[in-house]
Amino acid sequence: MMFMAGERNPASCYLDERTFRLCCQLFLQHSETIQDGWSWEQIKGTDEGFMKKTVLMPVKPSFLHKQHECSMQDENMVTDDVQANVEDETAGVQAVCEIHAVLRYEYHVLYSCSYQIPVLYFRASTLDGRPLSLEEVWSNVHPNYRQRLQQGPWDTLTQQEHPLLGQPFFMLHPCRTEEFMKPALDLAQAENKRMNYIVTWLSVVGPVVRLDVPLSYSSSAVISLSVSDSTDPEDVQRTC
Amino acid sequence: MSDNAESPTETQKDDPSIQHAATEHTGASDEKKKIDVLLKAVGDAPIMKTKKWSVERGRTVQSLAQFISRFLKLEASEQLFIYVNQSFAPSPDQEVGVLFECFGSDGKLVLHYCKSQAWG
Repeated sequence: MMFMAGERNPASCYLDERTFRLCCQLFLQHSETIQDGWSWEQIKGTDEGFMKKTVLMPVKPSFLHKQHECSMQDENMVTDDVQANVEDETAGVQAVCEIHAVLRYEYHVLYSCSYQIPVLYFRASTLDGRPLSLEEVWSNVHPNYRQRLQQGPWDTLTQQEHPLLGQPFFMLHPCRTEEFMKPALDLAQAENKRMNYIVTWLSVVGPVVRLDVPLSYSSSAVISLSVSDSTDPEDVQRTC
Repeated sequence: MSDNAESPTETQKDDPSIQHAATEHTGASDEKKKIDVLLKAVGDAPIMKTKKWSVERGRTVQSLAQFISRFLKLEASEQLFIYVNQSFAPSPDQEVGVLFECFGSDGKLVLHYCKSQAWG
């Protein structure tokens, strides 16, 4: 949902499909700028599509062989930034002794007509193509969220058939979206600030399943649309 | 410095890196190992009696979220969400010092927070 300065509509948590596409368009433009790897996938012969990004993620080898819960629950867990490891002079020794397993995560941002909000789908596999089990995916949920996700009254992280591709994916169930979107929407409206629904939403749900959304997405260039709500990129304006 | 905060003396002892921010700054360069954070509730989140905190730069968002959750005595099933720049949720691994560099103004970082029942 995008609202312009001066509008007084109560901030709805729901997103119409057109606004979904506009938000994605701005999001993708920024991704291009910072080379964040997102792309738009159009379903041939339809006007449906989704955003997609593939990430390679190093994890400790023990992750795949056994679930070493203690190592995954370390709240000071080092980020998956491989570059940082390279700079650490001890990492050179480590690399010889311990080869990280690498997981491949593929994230899709779809629009749900029934919920009228975006939904995050993803699939995960080892590099040799073995799909991760639900248990393995669970153990890779960020510790900040894991406990509470597991307390959900019904399955939060489920295996679903991808609505457009028909392949098995994991999905973060969207029915609580309103609870974390509404406060942000209300806040932006109260302060007459523009916001990009997809940026806000993905910044919340992404890290749960190890998808990083860089801070620069929050910059005004990604958020603004002209008052006429045009899809013409030349109309994209910047707020101060 | 206000002392009418509920409870948190216990949590404060556990978290020396998060302290009440002095209402008067002695000016300066107590070298910015700590940054000032102003916590604002949104939605129906409980309002913290002490809103201004000094936090070590290296503290992560996750760590700060845990602190706030304990301070507010959230239930185990409740998830705290933190927003920077009003509508962006920083990664739990992000350091508050970085957020301060990007979004701080008037010498402080404003963070909004809300809570939600279990996911699903």
